[in-house]
Amino acid sequence: MSENNTVTLTVDGKEVTVPAGSSLMDAATASGVEIPRFCFHKRLSVAGNCRMCLVEVEGGPPKPTASCCFPAGNGMVVHTKSPMVKEARKGVMEFLLINHPLDCPICDQAGECDLQDISVSYGSDCSKFGEGKRAVEDKDIGPKIKTVMTRCIHCTRCIRFATEVAGVEEMGATFRGENMSVGTYVENALESELSGNMIDLCPVGALTSKPYAFTGRNWEMVKTNSIDVMDALGSNIEVHSRAGKVMRIVPRENDSVNEEWISDTARFSYDGLYEDRITSPLVKVKSGKLQSIGWKKAIETVLPKLTGKKVIAGLAGDVHSVEDLYSFNAFMKETLETPNVDSRMGGFKLDGEFRPSYIMNSTIEGVDHADAIILVGTNPRLEAPVLNARIRKNVRGRNIPVYMVGAEVDLTYSYGLIGDKPSDLEDLSNGKSAIAKVLKGFNKPMIILGADAISRSDGLAVYKEVEKLSDTIGAIDAHWNGFNILHNKAGLVAALDMGVTPGKGGMDIAKTLKALKAGEVDTLILYGESDAVSAEDLKGAKFTIYIGTHKGTYADMADVVLPAAAYTEKDGWWTNTEGRVQESKAAVHPLLNAKEDWKIFRALSGELGKALPFDSLEALRLKISEDNKPYENIGKVSSAQAWVCVSGKGSLLKSAFANPVTNFYKTNEIMKASQVMTECAKSVAHKQNAMKKVG
Amino acid sequence: MTTPKLSIDDKVFKNLDGSGDWGIKGYEKRGGYKGLKKLLKTDPSVHIDQLKGSALRGRGGAGFPTGLKWSFMPKPDGIKPNYLVCNADEGEPGTCKDRDILRYDPHTLVEGMIVGCHCLGAKVGYIYVRGEYYDESSRLNQAIEEARKAGYLGKDIQGTGVDVEIYVHLGAGAYICGEETALLESLEGKKGQPRVKPPFPAGYGLYGCPTTINNVETIAQVPPILKKGNDWWCQFGRENNHGTKIFSVSGAVNLPGNFEAPMSISLKELIDEYAGGVIGGWDNLQAVIPGGSSTPMLSAANCNTAVMDFDGLRDLGTGLGTAAVIVMNKDTDLLRVMARISHFYKHESCGQCTPCREGVGWVSRLMDRLIAGEGTLEELDQMYDVTKKIEGKTICAFADGAMWPVQGTLKHFRHLFEERIKENMKANG
Repeated sequence: MSENNTVTLTVDGKEVTVPAGSSLMDAATASGVEIPRFCFHKRLSVAGNCRMCLVEVEGGPPKPTASCCFPAGNGMVVHTKSPMVKEARKGVMEFLLINHPLDCPICDQAGECDLQDISVSYGSDCSKFGEGKRAVEDKDIGPKIKTVMTRCIHCTRCIRFATEVAGVEEMGATFRGENMSVGTYVENALESELSGNMIDLCPVGALTSKPYAFTGRNWEMVKTNSIDVMDALGSNIEVHSRAGKVMRIVPRENDSVNEEWISDTARFSYDGLYEDRITSPLVKVKSGKLQSIGWKKAIETVLPKLTGKKVIAGLAGDVHSVEDLYSFNAFMKETLETPNVDSRMGGFKLDGEFRPSYIMNSTIEGVDHADAIILVGTNPRLEAPVLNARIRKNVRGRNIPVYMVGAEVDLTYSYGLIGDKPSDLEDLSNGKSAIAKVLKGFNKPMIILGADAISRSDGLAVYKEVEKLSDTIGAIDAHWNGFNILHNKAGLVAALDMGVTPGKGGMDIAKTLKALKAGEVDTLILYGESDAVSAEDLKGAKFTIYIGTHKGTYADMADVVLPAAAYTEKDGWWTNTEGRVQESKAAVHPLLNAKEDWKIFRALSGELGKALPFDSLEALRLKISEDNKPYENIGKVSSAQAWVCVSGKGSLLKSAFANPVTNFYKTNEIMKASQVMTECAKSVAHKQNAMKKVG
Repeated sequence: MTTPKLSIDDKVFKNLDGSGDWGIKGYEKRGGYKGLKKLLKTDPSVHIDQLKGSALRGRGGAGFPTGLKWSFMPKPDGIKPNYLVCNADEGEPGTCKDRDILRYDPHTLVEGMIVGCHCLGAKVGYIYVRGEYYDESSRLNQAIEEARKAGYLGKDIQGTGVDVEIYVHLGAGAYICGEETALLESLEGKKGQPRVKPPFPAGYGLYGCPTTINNVETIAQVPPILKKGNDWWCQFGRENNHGTKIFSVSGAVNLPGNFEAPMSISLKELIDEYAGGVIGGWDNLQAVIPGGSSTPMLSAANCNTAVMDFDGLRDLGTGLGTAAVIVMNKDTDLLRVMARISHFYKHESCGQCTPCREGVGWVSRLMDRLIAGEGTLEELDQMYDVTKKIEGKTICAFADGAMWPVQGTLKHFRHLFEERIKENMKANG
């Protein structure tokens, strides 16, 4: 009755059909039976070492079988609740607990601990163990993860994660038997951009979040669905808050985007939400210092600078939501009627005209289908660590080749370095080199072009060259679009979608900077920070208004500062590098006197007598989706568009593609303010120095 | 009824006592490598059928039929190579037979590897030698070199078109690396921890390729069986337990040592005729561990009738194991022996899976207290209970092997524990 590619078996008296190659655990899950487990994790290799998932298979050897690693077979009769199974699991639970400290009252994992949960079903109310308990020395593995190794139950999830997903083979178990101890090689700090995920994977409290230590209990947390903005991947996160304060950030599962991983910057930078924040409007007084004033006064100070015949320019920084960018753009162009608007402070050379030209067309999930990946001027490990893990997964699992035109960096997997100069790219796109011929042989090649590579002064030429390359190797056809831009700034795709680029005759970022230097700008509206432009270069306007979240060099040079809301403090749509629009909910209120950004622009426009046509977030969103097709479909990627060539000009430079990220832990204002990120940056620097010395 | 001793012609290991030349000349003089060419010219399937008929069972402890095991190996598919791996990680307490093979008759193994590789379609064989056997591995390497020079090893051996290369790898001293999949992990350069089965090595072994793992003695016995035929082999021993076997007899006997004898020999005969008898006479016998420390003890009463083969000892609730016979007379503190064995297993547990990692140490500690008389009678039951919770729940058979002897001791010698506990209670009021 079952076909070749399925098997049918009986679990607890219920017949179930599962794909061939499924484990007994899969079959049990399919039949609605939950099997307790510690070592098994669906995204890691199967270890089979915890022995908690034992089940009884009729007709097999007279002993229980580990269901996580035993293949389901036709006609098997499996029992998951028989006396043999119960006895076996109780035994395993007893063994797990004899050397476990049972210090739940002082353990951060309590309440979300697998050992705690499962012991309710299989644990005993008292211990028969009369010997001394084992104590294990804690390890220092860096500023992100706190270890209490006595709690470790040796499931090896962390080891498998580090080795398989993160690609840093530094975790391992030393010693044997009951002395077996999990740690890093020679007690090094674990240098991975994804290490925080081990905290989620650890089924007990052996690995917990260091910054979160002893700050809260998980049952106190209000959980809010949100989107990470530390990179442009749009990883799905859950913001945990208590009493109106963000306490921690954990991932949400989304197979299309981040599976269930997030980068350490996403997880650990939240303390930056409360450091150096601008909590009320500020105005520069005669001494040159910023002094806090009320909103009313601040707006009164600003209004005269925005009226009359003035040269006004507006620049939007790196991290903004869709609504904020739309309202900023509308405020500049409609209320202030100035075309001098730009959001591409890093110098990105394309505008929002043709959407496929600036998004990841193959989609993130496309990595799982691509048969080759060609990286151009990008370092995905630091620009989008979770995407890099997905590439690694496919390199390991499907053996797909990766090629690189760009700076040689450690991506955690091996790749073919073609060269780091634009001329190497030219050789490739001409189709003459040997590698180009190899590339032509792939059906679904995925070219990933780093946003920074088209932010160089020859960016458009680089773009044209890559477009030519995709033509040469046949990367774009009716079924597959292998042309991809990897952004590293959370707001840029949305900014291009919303058209936050110069209007007719307007100044772009380069021209604005020039005008500022020449003293030709009357009023500069700086909306948020950008990693790419220093405050020094933005000086020169007669009056500068800074709208943002954090104190810093940008705020320091402003005449008036208006406090905006951070990403956790507002409902917002975020558009990731593949053009997927995802909704993030406000976890907490804007800090003190800060306001949601769009409300600031709406209020200013009202005061100026040219009110923007929306009074609520819903009205604003309606306007956005009316004007933009992709924004009708929240959470999904928009369907493919026919390819149109973007007019490009200029010629390629000789200079090599640089490594786009130099300080992974400090790329936006939240990370810059975060002390945890500072510690992480120090730890990396320390390790690099140590390596150099050994060198 | 006494079993006649093996004639020198019938012995597989003719130089096991080390009295002759271990080198290639001595081996050839003893008939070694004779007929190798013919074996290599014959189709492997013929050999494997013959092995199946011979009822040769693995000499490493589990006694799995060798011919059947070899028949599981797929034919080389041209993509993945097949491997033969020899398990020379002899670590079972009491066992020392492979050591004498390696140092006194290494060419028996080399020839066995050549024939084995041919039978299994392997071009490369690995011999994983216990780290402590450094000298033995050097000798083995010399023997391999000799065989290569003599044209028995390498490319196109004696014009038969068969290529075989043998590599020796030294372990680093972990008992668990004698478990076949832990051995493979160790051979691959990883931490020596048993793999989850299935998949079995015949499908997914060394570097993910089809692999057969056999004990030194097993591999060395293959060429004589194939050369002399099953009639010769099957004249020794009983149905399903045929052939000759090396017994390592140690402990309270007058002449301890390795003896090659027919299978199914009685224990009494083995001790009396080969090992010079129990010190203090047969009546002074207290207990015997018949097959290495993983097999439960035999009480003196059982020793009278014990037949030394796989089935005979299984019927007595123990096993032939590696045929390492540890004899204990009445001067032996049996419980201390057991506690020491438990300590050994605590030390050697790899720590991978929960019941063994946590439980074996628990048992060892309980045992330490109980033999000192410090425990309670309830704790005796508790210890049995713990062994039952460990047995059959683990990835490999290590924990079973660690728990069976404890269970056996509790079964046969519970009174000794009880006496000690009661004595102690009396002494302490």
